[in-house]
Amino acid sequence: MESSQDLGDEELVALCQQGQGHYFEVLVRRYMEKAFHIAYDFTRNKETAKDLSQDAFLRAYANITRFDGRSSFYTWFYRIVVNLCLDHARRNGRVFWESLDKKADEPGGQRQLVDTRSQPDQEAIAGEATRRANATLESMPNKQRTAFLLRNQQGLPIADIAKVMKTTEGTVRVYLHRAVAALRQSLVEFV
Amino acid sequence: MENRVGPLEGACKSYEEDLVLYYYAETGTGERAALAQHLAHCLRCRKFVDDLGRVLPQMAPKPELPQAFWDNYFRETVAKLDEQSAQQHGWRRWLQPMNGWLVPAFGTVAIAVFAIALMLPKGNFTSTGETASVNIPAEVLVDSNQLEFFKSLEILESLSTLEEQDGAKPARKTSQIENQRSARALA
Repeated sequence: MESSQDLGDEELVALCQQGQGHYFEVLVRRYMEKAFHIAYDFTRNKETAKDLSQDAFLRAYANITRFDGRSSFYTWFYRIVVNLCLDHARRNGRVFWESLDKKADEPGGQRQLVDTRSQPDQEAIAGEATRRANATLESMPNKQRTAFLLRNQQGLPIADIAKVMKTTEGTVRVYLHRAVAALRQSLVEFV
Repeated sequence: MENRVGPLEGACKSYEEDLVLYYYAETGTGERAALAQHLAHCLRCRKFVDDLGRVLPQMAPKPELPQAFWDNYFRETVAKLDEQSAQQHGWRRWLQPMNGWLVPAFGTVAIAVFAIALMLPKGNFTSTGETASVNIPAEVLVDSNQLEFFKSLEILESLSTLEEQDGAKPARKTSQIENQRSARALA
Protein backbone atom coordinates (compact mmCIF):
# COMPACT_ATOMS: atom_id res chain seq x y z
CA MET A 1 0.00 0.00 0.00
CA GLU A 2 1.26 3.48 -0.94
CA SER A 3 2.31 5.66 1.97
CA SER A 4 1.16 9.29 2.06
CA GLN A 5 4.85 10.26 1.90
CA ASP A 6 5.06 8.69 -1.55
CA LEU A 7 2.14 10.64 -2.96
CA GLY A 8 2.85 13.43 -5.39
CA ASP A 9 2.04 17.06 -4.59
CA GLU A 10 -0.96 17.11 -6.91
CA GLU A 11 -2.44 13.98 -5.33
CA LEU A 12 -1.98 15.39 -1.84
CA VAL A 13 -3.58 18.68 -2.90
CA ALA A 14 -6.51 16.78 -4.42
CA LEU A 15 -7.02 14.88 -1.16
CA CYS A 16 -6.94 18.13 0.81
CA GLN A 17 -9.47 19.63 -1.58
CA GLN A 18 -11.72 16.63 -0.92
CA GLY A 19 -11.70 17.51 2.77
CA GLN A 20 -8.88 15.26 3.97
CA GLY A 21 -6.89 18.14 5.41
CA HIS A 22 -4.45 15.95 7.35
CA TYR A 23 -2.66 15.21 4.06
CA PHE A 24 -1.50 18.82 4.08
CA GLU A 25 0.93 17.86 6.83
CA VAL A 26 2.89 15.85 4.27
CA LEU A 27 3.23 19.00 2.16
CA VAL A 28 4.36 20.93 5.25
CA ARG A 29 7.02 18.31 5.96
CA ARG A 30 8.09 18.34 2.31
CA TYR A 31 8.38 22.12 1.86
CA MET A 32 9.09 23.54 5.31
CA GLU A 33 12.85 23.84 4.81
CA LYS A 34 12.50 25.44 1.37
CA ALA A 35 9.85 27.85 2.61
CA PHE A 36 11.89 28.79 5.65
CA HIS A 37 15.05 29.37 3.60
CA ILE A 38 13.27 31.53 1.03
CA ALA A 39 11.87 33.66 3.86
CA TYR A 40 15.28 33.72 5.52
CA ASP A 41 16.94 34.94 2.30
CA PHE A 42 14.53 37.85 2.24
CA THR A 43 14.53 38.72 5.93
CA ARG A 44 17.85 37.45 7.31
CA ASN A 45 16.07 36.83 10.59
CA LYS A 46 15.34 33.33 11.87
CA GLU A 47 12.19 34.14 13.86
CA THR A 48 10.69 36.31 11.13
CA ALA A 49 11.49 33.68 8.51
CA LYS A 50 9.79 31.06 10.64
CA ASP A 51 6.68 33.20 11.15
CA LEU A 52 6.42 34.17 7.49
CA SER A 53 6.94 30.67 6.15
CA GLN A 54 4.42 29.23 8.64
CA ASP A 55 1.98 31.94 7.63
CA ALA A 56 2.50 30.88 4.01
CA PHE A 57 1.44 27.33 4.93
CA LEU A 58 -1.66 28.64 6.70
CA ARG A 59 -2.62 30.72 3.69
CA ALA A 60 -1.96 27.90 1.27
CA TYR A 61 -4.14 25.59 3.34
CA ALA A 62 -6.92 28.16 3.69
CA ASN A 63 -6.91 28.65 -0.09
CA ILE A 64 -6.25 25.08 -1.15
CA THR A 65 -9.64 24.82 -2.87
CA ARG A 66 -8.66 27.75 -5.10
CA PHE A 67 -5.56 25.96 -6.36
CA ASP A 68 -6.56 24.98 -9.88
CA GLY A 69 -3.56 22.85 -10.81
CA ARG A 70 -2.57 25.02 -13.75
CA SER A 71 0.86 25.43 -12.16
CA SER A 72 2.68 23.01 -9.90
CA PHE A 73 1.90 23.19 -6.20
CA TYR A 74 5.37 24.33 -5.28
CA THR A 75 5.48 27.30 -7.70
CA TRP A 76 2.04 28.34 -6.37
CA PHE A 77 3.26 27.93 -2.81
CA TYR A 78 6.61 29.69 -3.40
CA ARG A 79 4.67 32.59 -4.84
CA ILE A 80 2.74 32.86 -1.58
CA VAL A 81 6.01 32.79 0.41
CA VAL A 82 7.66 35.44 -1.79
CA ASN A 83 4.60 37.69 -1.68
CA LEU A 84 4.49 37.48 2.10
CA CYS A 85 8.21 38.31 2.32
CA LEU A 86 7.92 41.29 -0.02
CA ASP A 87 4.86 42.50 1.85
CA HIS A 88 6.72 42.13 5.14
CA ALA A 89 9.69 44.11 3.76
CA ARG A 90 7.33 46.83 2.53
CA ARG A 91 5.60 47.10 5.90
CA ASN A 92 8.71 46.88 8.05
CA GLY A 93 11.23 48.82 6.00
CA ARG A 94 14.80 47.75 5.62
CA VAL A 95 15.70 45.37 8.43
CA PHE A 96 17.91 43.15 6.31
CA TRP A 97 21.00 45.33 6.67
CA GLU A 98 20.94 45.45 10.47
CA SER A 99 20.52 41.71 10.77
CA LEU A 100 23.45 41.09 8.48
CA ASP A 101 25.69 43.37 10.49
CA LYS A 102 24.76 41.52 13.62
CA LYS A 103 25.19 38.17 11.96
CA ALA A 104 28.66 39.08 10.65
CA ASP A 105 29.83 39.63 14.22
CA GLU A 106 28.80 36.16 15.32
CA PRO A 107 31.53 33.51 15.03
CA GLY A 108 30.80 31.39 11.98
CA GLY A 109 27.54 33.20 11.49
CA GLN A 110 28.46 34.80 8.19
CA ARG A 111 30.90 33.46 5.67
CA GLN A 112 33.11 36.11 4.10
CA LEU A 113 33.29 36.82 0.41
CA VAL A 114 37.08 37.02 0.32
CA ASP A 115 39.83 34.95 1.88
CA THR A 116 40.29 35.68 5.58
CA ARG A 117 42.98 33.21 6.41
CA SER A 118 45.81 35.68 7.02
CA GLN A 119 46.02 39.21 8.45
CA PRO A 120 43.38 41.14 10.39
CA ASP A 121 43.25 43.82 7.67
CA GLN A 122 42.20 41.13 5.22
CA GLU A 123 39.40 40.22 7.59
CA ALA A 124 38.33 43.83 7.58
CA ILE A 125 38.36 43.85 3.79
CA ALA A 126 36.33 40.64 3.75
CA GLY A 127 33.85 42.14 6.18
CA GLU A 128 33.54 45.22 3.99
CA ALA A 129 33.03 43.06 0.88
CA THR A 130 30.29 41.11 2.62
CA ARG A 131 28.58 44.24 3.84
CA ARG A 132 28.76 45.84 0.43
CA ALA A 133 27.41 42.78 -1.36
CA ASN A 134 24.53 42.46 1.05
CA ALA A 135 23.77 46.16 0.89
CA THR A 136 23.62 45.85 -2.90
CA LEU A 137 21.33 42.87 -2.59
CA GLU A 138 19.14 44.77 -0.18
CA SER A 139 18.89 47.89 -2.34
CA MET A 140 17.99 45.94 -5.50
CA PRO A 141 14.52 46.29 -6.99
CA ASN A 142 12.25 43.56 -5.60
CA LYS A 143 11.95 41.70 -8.89
CA GLN A 144 15.71 41.52 -9.43
CA ARG A 145 16.26 40.43 -5.85
CA THR A 146 13.53 37.79 -6.06
CA ALA A 147 14.93 36.37 -9.30
CA PHE A 148 18.45 36.33 -7.87
CA LEU A 149 17.50 34.78 -4.53
CA LEU A 150 15.34 32.09 -6.10
CA ARG A 151 18.07 31.16 -8.61
CA ASN A 152 21.21 31.65 -6.59
CA GLN A 153 20.01 30.62 -3.15
CA GLN A 154 17.21 28.17 -3.88
CA GLY A 155 18.54 26.82 -7.16
CA LEU A 156 15.17 27.16 -8.88
CA PRO A 157 15.36 26.85 -12.66
CA ILE A 158 14.59 30.05 -14.58
CA ALA A 159 11.44 28.43 -16.01
CA ASP A 160 10.05 27.92 -12.49
CA ILE A 161 11.09 31.38 -11.32
CA ALA A 162 9.12 32.75 -14.26
CA LYS A 163 6.06 30.84 -13.01
CA VAL A 164 6.54 32.02 -9.42
CA MET A 165 6.95 35.62 -10.57
CA LYS A 166 4.25 35.27 -13.25
CA THR A 167 6.51 36.62 -15.95
CA THR A 168 8.46 35.33 -18.95
CA GLU A 169 11.72 33.42 -18.82
CA GLY A 170 13.36 36.18 -20.86
CA THR A 171 12.41 38.74 -18.25
CA VAL A 172 13.81 36.54 -15.47
CA ARG A 173 17.09 36.22 -17.41
CA VAL A 174 17.30 40.01 -17.62
CA TYR A 175 16.57 40.39 -13.87
CA LEU A 176 19.18 37.77 -13.05
CA HIS A 177 21.83 39.34 -15.23
CA ARG A 178 21.16 42.79 -13.77
CA ALA A 179 21.31 41.45 -10.24
CA VAL A 180 24.60 39.64 -10.86
CA ALA A 181 26.05 42.67 -12.66
CA ALA A 182 25.09 44.91 -9.74
CA LEU A 183 26.63 42.52 -7.22
CA ARG A 184 29.79 42.13 -9.22
CA GLN A 185 30.01 45.90 -9.64
CA SER A 186 29.73 46.39 -5.89
CA LEU A 187 32.53 43.85 -5.33
CA VAL A 188 34.73 44.89 -8.19
CA GLU A 189 37.49 46.09 -5.83
CA PHE A 190 37.47 42.81 -3.95
CA VAL A 191 37.19 40.12 -6.63
CA MET B 1 44.29 43.31 -26.31
CA GLU B 2 41.26 41.46 -24.99
CA ASN B 3 43.32 39.09 -22.89
CA ARG B 4 44.79 41.76 -20.62
CA VAL B 5 42.90 41.57 -17.36
CA GLY B 6 42.49 44.68 -15.25
CA PRO B 7 41.01 44.77 -11.74
CA LEU B 8 37.85 46.62 -12.82
CA GLU B 9 37.11 44.73 -15.99
CA GLY B 10 34.05 42.61 -16.58
CA ALA B 11 33.41 40.16 -19.39
CA CYS B 12 33.14 41.04 -23.05
CA LYS B 13 29.93 43.07 -23.28
CA SER B 14 28.27 40.85 -25.86
CA TYR B 15 28.92 37.73 -23.76
CA GLU B 16 28.20 38.95 -20.24
CA GLU B 17 24.50 38.05 -20.00
CA ASP B 18 25.08 34.64 -21.60
CA LEU B 19 27.97 33.97 -19.24
CA VAL B 20 25.71 34.54 -16.23
CA LEU B 21 23.33 31.94 -17.69
CA TYR B 22 26.33 29.72 -18.49
CA TYR B 23 27.39 29.92 -14.85
CA TYR B 24 23.89 28.90 -13.72
CA ALA B 25 23.77 26.13 -16.34
CA GLU B 26 20.74 27.75 -17.96
CA THR B 27 22.00 27.63 -21.55
CA GLY B 28 21.13 25.16 -24.27
CA THR B 29 23.70 22.58 -25.38
CA GLY B 30 24.67 24.42 -28.58
CA GLU B 31 24.92 27.76 -26.82
CA ARG B 32 26.98 26.21 -24.06
CA ALA B 33 29.46 24.76 -26.53
CA ALA B 34 29.83 28.13 -28.27
CA LEU B 35 30.43 29.87 -24.93
CA ALA B 36 32.95 27.23 -23.88
CA GLN B 37 34.79 27.85 -27.14
CA HIS B 38 34.86 31.60 -26.45
CA LEU B 39 36.04 31.04 -22.88
CA ALA B 40 38.92 28.91 -24.11
CA HIS B 41 40.33 31.98 -25.90
CA CYS B 42 39.16 34.87 -23.70
CA LEU B 43 40.96 35.31 -20.40
CA ARG B 44 38.74 38.23 -19.47
CA CYS B 45 35.52 36.22 -19.75
CA ARG B 46 37.14 33.28 -18.03
CA LYS B 47 38.02 35.51 -15.09
CA PHE B 48 34.44 36.80 -15.06
CA VAL B 49 33.03 33.27 -14.77
CA ASP B 50 35.66 32.39 -12.13
CA ASP B 51 34.65 35.47 -10.11
CA LEU B 52 30.99 34.43 -10.29
CA GLY B 53 31.93 30.95 -9.11
CA ARG B 54 33.89 32.38 -6.20
CA VAL B 55 31.49 35.11 -5.06
CA LEU B 56 27.93 33.95 -5.80
CA PRO B 57 27.87 30.68 -3.82
CA GLN B 58 28.88 32.65 -0.74
CA MET B 59 26.12 35.21 -0.98
CA ALA B 60 23.76 35.18 1.99
CA PRO B 61 24.50 31.65 3.24
CA LYS B 62 21.80 29.48 4.78
CA PRO B 63 21.85 29.10 8.54
CA GLU B 64 22.71 25.65 9.82
CA LEU B 65 19.80 24.55 11.98
CA PRO B 66 19.56 21.44 14.15
CA GLN B 67 16.93 18.75 13.58
CA ALA B 68 15.20 19.89 16.79
CA PHE B 69 14.45 23.22 15.12
CA TRP B 70 12.68 21.49 12.23
CA ASP B 71 10.77 19.14 14.54
CA ASN B 72 9.58 22.13 16.51
CA TYR B 73 8.79 24.03 13.30
CA PHE B 74 6.65 21.16 12.04
CA ARG B 75 4.79 20.77 15.36
CA GLU B 76 4.10 24.51 15.54
CA THR B 77 2.86 24.68 11.95
CA VAL B 78 0.54 21.72 12.41
CA ALA B 79 -0.79 23.26 15.66
CA LYS B 80 -1.43 26.54 13.84
CA LEU B 81 -3.19 24.69 11.02
CA ASP B 82 -5.39 22.86 13.54
CA GLU B 83 -6.21 26.15 15.25
CA GLN B 84 -7.11 27.73 11.91
CA SER B 85 -9.31 24.76 11.00
CA ALA B 86 -11.01 24.84 14.41
CA GLN B 87 -11.80 28.53 13.96
CA GLN B 88 -13.23 27.94 10.50
CA HIS B 89 -15.30 24.98 11.67
CA GLY B 90 -16.36 26.92 14.74
CA TRP B 91 -17.84 29.64 12.58
CA ARG B 92 -19.54 27.07 10.39
CA ARG B 93 -20.93 25.27 13.44
CA TRP B 94 -22.25 28.55 14.80
CA LEU B 95 -23.82 29.53 11.53
CA GLN B 96 -25.21 26.10 10.62
CA PRO B 97 -28.18 25.97 13.04
CA MET B 98 -29.06 29.51 12.06
CA ASN B 99 -29.26 28.66 8.39
CA GLY B 100 -32.88 27.56 8.87
CA TRP B 101 -34.18 30.87 10.20
CA LEU B 102 -31.36 33.40 9.56
CA VAL B 103 -32.39 34.33 6.02
CA PRO B 104 -36.14 34.76 6.74
CA ALA B 105 -35.30 36.74 9.88
CA PHE B 106 -33.04 39.16 8.02
CA GLY B 107 -35.62 39.44 5.24
CA THR B 108 -38.41 40.32 7.69
CA VAL B 109 -36.25 42.96 9.40
CA ALA B 110 -35.32 44.50 6.04
CA ILE B 111 -38.98 44.67 4.93
CA ALA B 112 -40.01 46.20 8.26
CA VAL B 113 -37.34 48.90 8.00
CA PHE B 114 -38.39 49.67 4.43
CA ALA B 115 -42.07 49.90 5.41
CA ILE B 116 -41.32 52.25 8.34
CA ALA B 117 -39.25 54.44 6.05
CA LEU B 118 -42.16 54.69 3.60
CA MET B 119 -44.74 55.44 6.31
CA LEU B 120 -42.84 58.30 7.86
CA PRO B 121 -43.73 61.75 6.41
CA LYS B 122 -41.06 63.14 4.13
CA GLY B 123 -40.86 66.44 5.98
CA ASN B 124 -39.42 64.75 9.04
CA PHE B 125 -36.27 63.90 7.18
CA THR B 126 -35.46 67.34 5.79
CA SER B 127 -32.10 68.49 6.92
CA THR B 128 -31.98 71.40 9.31
CA GLY B 129 -28.22 71.72 9.07
CA GLU B 130 -28.35 73.95 6.01
CA THR B 131 -30.42 76.62 7.78
CA ALA B 132 -27.62 77.48 10.16
CA SER B 133 -25.32 79.67 8.16
CA VAL B 134 -21.83 80.44 9.36
CA ASN B 135 -22.11 84.07 8.29
CA ILE B 136 -25.08 84.81 10.51
CA PRO B 137 -24.02 86.32 13.87
CA ALA B 138 -24.38 84.05 16.91
CA GLU B 139 -26.75 86.40 18.72
CA VAL B 140 -29.10 86.29 15.76
CA LEU B 141 -29.00 82.51 15.57
CA VAL B 142 -30.53 82.28 19.04
CA ASP B 143 -33.89 83.51 17.81
CA SER B 144 -35.37 81.58 14.92
CA ASN B 145 -37.86 84.39 14.19
CA GLN B 146 -34.99 86.80 13.74
CA LEU B 147 -33.32 84.30 11.47
CA GLU B 148 -36.39 84.17 9.23
CA PHE B 149 -36.50 87.95 9.32
CA PHE B 150 -32.91 88.23 8.20
CA LYS B 151 -33.57 85.76 5.45
CA SER B 152 -36.52 87.75 4.14
CA LEU B 153 -34.40 90.87 4.44
CA GLU B 154 -31.85 89.32 2.17
CA ILE B 155 -34.59 88.59 -0.36
CA LEU B 156 -35.85 92.14 -0.06
CA GLU B 157 -32.36 93.46 -0.56
CA SER B 158 -32.04 91.34 -3.63
CA LEU B 159 -35.39 92.58 -4.93
CA SER B 160 -34.48 96.20 -4.38
CA THR B 161 -31.21 95.65 -6.18
CA LEU B 162 -33.09 94.18 -9.13
CA GLU B 163 -35.56 97.06 -9.12
CA GLU B 164 -32.73 99.52 -9.08
CA GLN B 165 -31.12 97.80 -12.02
CA ASP B 166 -34.43 97.70 -13.91
CA GLY B 167 -35.10 101.34 -13.05
CA ALA B 168 -31.66 102.43 -14.15
CA LYS B 169 -31.92 101.02 -17.66
CA PRO B 170 -35.07 102.95 -18.79
CA ALA B 171 -33.67 106.05 -17.15
CA ARG B 172 -30.61 105.80 -19.34
CA LYS B 173 -32.77 105.29 -22.41
CA THR B 174 -34.95 108.32 -21.64
CA SER B 175 -31.93 110.51 -21.06
CA GLN B 176 -30.54 109.43 -24.43
CA ILE B 177 -33.85 110.37 -26.17
CA GLU B 178 -33.88 113.74 -24.42
CA ASN B 179 -30.34 114.42 -25.53
CA GLN B 180 -31.25 113.59 -29.13
CA ARG B 181 -34.24 115.93 -28.99
CA SER B 182 -32.24 118.80 -27.60
CA ALA B 183 -29.60 118.26 -30.29
CA ARG B 184 -32.26 118.43 -33.00
CA ALA B 185 -33.74 121.61 -31.47
CA LEU B 186 -30.36 123.25 -31.46
CA ALA B 187 -29.85 122.31 -35.10
